[in-house]
Amino acid sequence: MHRRGVGAGAIAKKKLTEARYKERGTVLAEDQIVQMSKQLETFKSNLEEFASKHKQEIRKSSQFRVQFQEMCATIGVDPLASGKGFWSEMLGVGDFYYELGVQIIEVCLALKHRNGGLITLDELHHRVLKGRGKFAQDVSQDDLVRAIKKLKVMGNGFGMIPVGGSYLVQSVPAELNMDHTVVLQLAEKKGYVSVSEIRESLKWERERACHVLDHLLKEGLAWLDSQASGEPQYWLPALFSELTSRGQSV
Amino acid sequence: MSFEWPWQYNFPPFFTLQPNVDTRHKQLAAWCSLALSYCRHNKLYTLDIMEAQESPVFNHKNIDRKLSMEAILIVFEELRKKGNLEWLDKNKTRCLVMWRRPEEWGKLIYQWVSKNSMVNTVFTLYELANGDDTESEEFHGLEDWMLIRSLQALQMDGKAEVITMDDGKGVKFF
Repeated sequence: MHRRGVGAGAIAKKKLTEARYKERGTVLAEDQIVQMSKQLETFKSNLEEFASKHKQEIRKSSQFRVQFQEMCATIGVDPLASGKGFWSEMLGVGDFYYELGVQIIEVCLALKHRNGGLITLDELHHRVLKGRGKFAQDVSQDDLVRAIKKLKVMGNGFGMIPVGGSYLVQSVPAELNMDHTVVLQLAEKKGYVSVSEIRESLKWERERACHVLDHLLKEGLAWLDSQASGEPQYWLPALFSELTSRGQSV
Repeated sequence: MSFEWPWQYNFPPFFTLQPNVDTRHKQLAAWCSLALSYCRHNKLYTLDIMEAQESPVFNHKNIDRKLSMEAILIVFEELRKKGNLEWLDKNKTRCLVMWRRPEEWGKLIYQWVSKNSMVNTVFTLYELANGDDTESEEFHGLEDWMLIRSLQALQMDGKAEVITMDDGKGVKFF
């Protein structure tokens, strides 16, 4: 029996086989590319279908938006992260929050002269809805909070202070430290606060309490009432409108 | 139509002169606006300061707050600086309130005159402020002292001339 293998012929054959494999490899890669390209096409048209199906819902329903955001968070996507691309261009998610942000700024600017740049989330919500009119899309407080977070990131001087189960939205970069925040939270219940209330609730020294109240006066966030019985009271316009509008009809 | 109070009216600190300068500016501006609107709504042309202190504007009984005499005088001084108030006596007990300035009244009156093609007619002051023809006009019921000033403003503009007649004053419009 002849043995093939070593020999000029064998080498030549080996070379031919290798060449064929290489060619095949190229063919395989081409194949893959065609496949992938087909898949991308399908993926793209699926995305477009998704977008057209849900774009309306994103604009119209605050509940859908919440669920959508939660879904994105689960898969590690932030649809508000960049202004370009699928999320903002095709779904209009970015647009919605951008426009809302502008509205929020408008409301805060309009009321700044009255409340010094501090407004409750409730009042902000109420006024944004009013500004959008009867037939405009529904906007929830969750929407507002997200839009404000975006504004914060863009450096607009916006901040949120947790008070009484909700928030005070700060739209002016007033210097508010922990002491100030805590006093604001204390004032939230009645819309005003006094030195002895602060001393009683927070166990502070008189000077510390006065220092904070003076700062709030200076920032235009609080007004002094010296006709209150007992001792002066410090009232916050931001918390006052809230109180009166709760009692009013529309 | 009942008077619409601004939000500040129910805000207790509104009746305390604010220590913070910026806040005080806002407060005084709001007080000036409120005082003028109230006078306009009730067609008040003169104020006695003692009476004013007890009027609902400066004394809000419902919330047990009132503006001090010192603060009222500060508000009135602001109004005077803006041309909306004039003291009638040195002791500052009575004043004229011009929620509309003479020039503005003059303009309104002249508009009515020209709209009704009554230029070159002579009117008595009474006819103008109290006649049947002007009953629906805003300047109807305008007190004499203000009427005269308004006409004098028009006179300075060459649009009218105040004339003295047998039984009082009159005016001719050009």
